[in-house]
Amino acid sequence: MRISITNFTKTFGDTTVIKDMSLEIESGEMLALLGPSGCGKSTTLFSICGIHRMNAGRLRFGDKDVTKRPPQERNVGVVFQNYALYPHMDVHANIAFPLKVRKEPRAEIDRKVLEIAALVHIEELLQRKPSQLSGGQQQRVALARALVRKPDILLLDEPLANLDAKLRLEMRSEIRRIQQQTGITAVLVTHDQVEAMSMCDRIALMNKGDIVQVCKPKEMYDNPASDFVAGFLGNPPIAFLDGIANDGEIRLANSEVALRLPSNVIDLSNGTQLRLGIRPEFFQPENDMKVTGKVSFVETQGREDLFDVTLTNGAVLRSIQSRGGDIKLGDEVTWGISREHILAFGPGGERL
Amino acid sequence: MQRSSWLGLAFLSPALIVVLLFFLMPVILTGIFAFTNMSTATGVKGGSYVLNASSLRALTDAGLPDVTRSQIESAGYRVDERGLAALAEAHGQAVAEEFSKNHAGEVFTKRRDVERALKDLSSNPIRKTRDRKAAADLFKRSILNQRYETLDAFEAALNEAGIPKPDRPLITEIAYTGWTWTTANFDLLLSLDSTWQYAKNTGIYVTFTLAFNVVFGLFLAITTFYLPAAQATAFRAIWFLPRILPPVLYIVMWRWFTWDTGFISTVLSGFGVSSKNWMLDTEYHAWVTVILINGFVGASMGMIVFSSAIRAIPASMLYASEVDGASRWQQVWYIILPQLRWPILFITSYQTMSLLTSFEYIYLSTDGGPGGSTEVWALAAFHTALNNYGGNLQYGLGATYALLLVVIGVLASLFYLRLFNFKNLLTKPRIEG
Repeated sequence: MRISITNFTKTFGDTTVIKDMSLEIESGEMLALLGPSGCGKSTTLFSICGIHRMNAGRLRFGDKDVTKRPPQERNVGVVFQNYALYPHMDVHANIAFPLKVRKEPRAEIDRKVLEIAALVHIEELLQRKPSQLSGGQQQRVALARALVRKPDILLLDEPLANLDAKLRLEMRSEIRRIQQQTGITAVLVTHDQVEAMSMCDRIALMNKGDIVQVCKPKEMYDNPASDFVAGFLGNPPIAFLDGIANDGEIRLANSEVALRLPSNVIDLSNGTQLRLGIRPEFFQPENDMKVTGKVSFVETQGREDLFDVTLTNGAVLRSIQSRGGDIKLGDEVTWGISREHILAFGPGGERL
Repeated sequence: MQRSSWLGLAFLSPALIVVLLFFLMPVILTGIFAFTNMSTATGVKGGSYVLNASSLRALTDAGLPDVTRSQIESAGYRVDERGLAALAEAHGQAVAEEFSKNHAGEVFTKRRDVERALKDLSSNPIRKTRDRKAAADLFKRSILNQRYETLDAFEAALNEAGIPKPDRPLITEIAYTGWTWTTANFDLLLSLDSTWQYAKNTGIYVTFTLAFNVVFGLFLAITTFYLPAAQATAFRAIWFLPRILPPVLYIVMWRWFTWDTGFISTVLSGFGVSSKNWMLDTEYHAWVTVILINGFVGASMGMIVFSSAIRAIPASMLYASEVDGASRWQQVWYIILPQLRWPILFITSYQTMSLLTSFEYIYLSTDGGPGGSTEVWALAAFHTALNNYGGNLQYGLGATYALLLVVIGVLASLFYLRLFNFKNLLTKPRIEG
């Protein structure tokens, strides 16, 4: 079911957390609300499910206006960060709870619980108490409980934050599988770009209560709308070079080094403040636009090595390369930047 | 033991002394007193030996031979050497000699007869009635109505009176006015109808007050949980007032409230209801008042404990139940109440204990009335031992009541501990949040 948020504002006391936000989520889509902590992504999620009241704006599920509806009437399934399982009920009772409060017949409840338990692979755990489950199993139970009454919308609040690295990987694909299998519209709140990029159809990147950019993960990575987006996505992160435009080139701050600008921004007027973003994979030995610097940091990541190269003006470029080189800390290297992959930003951080 | 351990003990010692003096000692003394017949009449120290009319009746009931009894009763006044010597000293050798000649060895049952005999002496040497009475008393040899401070003195008196040896132990026992060891308290207590009435009253008191405390405490905790924070705090503060009010003031207000010239009567008189004492006019009203008085105080405690327990439930769990579609009622019934299981059990057991032994509010309000209908066990123990209307405080019997209450309390504690499965309570929860 399509979710549409228009001009949503949320305040807590005197603090305005979200101001005038609008967002459309397509039916059957899985959208990530991504952002650093405190950006208002969980607030948005809790407002969608009705736990928080919206101070202004409208919220529609499909054609239905649910702005003023209490959570009980919204038919949303929520998976909380700490799963919020009911400790005094066994797994079966936990999953059955949404059906039980609707007074569905017992046989019907049992059938649906077994069905959903099979979907999330916890058939053999139904008699256990939540305290007897591992984190991953609790996560599956929470998912089952959220899904059992066929909600219009599935909301996930940092669902993987409490899991260890290996389980996180497993549950990432599990949640995506279940979402695709049920075809449900889902919103995932996360601060982890990898989760957002790997699980979701689209990402809405938030910063300080605003949505900075909404688009497909690959597009957001390749074509960030601002330096904040460029800096938030990508691991290892993008490196920035500050400078001033001069005859189709950029003169780096505090240095004599000049680099040619990418073709889409070549006709900038002289003296414009510029910020170039260079991703580690585009700073490689074989590229032609050479820059010289000193290796100031080496990190072995197994398949790849990560280098920080400090230029003479103190700016740092990052490079990620297949293993095999013989480069040590303190070596002077001259590597090249792929000119057409440079991302140029204006003085306000906006993409040029 | 290390030096630091001694230091710890030293720091603890004030507390230890207080516990010993005010908690342990009373329990031990209660245990001791329960097996005695101590009362105002016997005192708590030793006693003396007195034979009077009532102890003679008791002796007869206990099977004292009639011969011995009449011997004691008719011992009266005996004209013997000792008496004559005393008479000689008081009124001269001549008088004594004459009296000896006429009456030596005679026994008079009444002093009047001795006086008459003295008067009949030639020339009536003792003129004044008062002197004659004093002279007659010199011959008094009865052990009746005499107080002997020591056992030796009493036994000497018995010996002198020529009481047969086999009867002496019985007489000594009954004549003793001090306390003795006995288990008679328990038999007496079980045979009294009023005991069962106290037990019934205690049952009514504990059951209804407890139910009121827990149910009303829960109601307050849950309703204030859903109120906005400031209102909830104000509301809780108001409900907490009875607890911080001095008990005496609190009860005085209740009495004003229920008196025949009090609030209820005044208001209802406007509707043509004749004024009366709403607290004490019927048994039913007395109970309602007693339960409300105690209930409003107790409920505030339940309210505080339950409130904090509800607030300890993770918010996300309540959110989860809301998005799962649970209404407020269902949220309370399925999520909040099950998680209050331990606090409810705790309050129930704790209040059972304190209600079993508490009587101060009843004492101050109805004082067990009307007609003993609200006299609970603990109040009965207090009344019997320390505040008897008749004036004879029966420490021994009262202690027996108290001792039984201690036994019941210990048994109930054990039962509750078992129910709590105390070890389980102490283990850390495995699921957080």
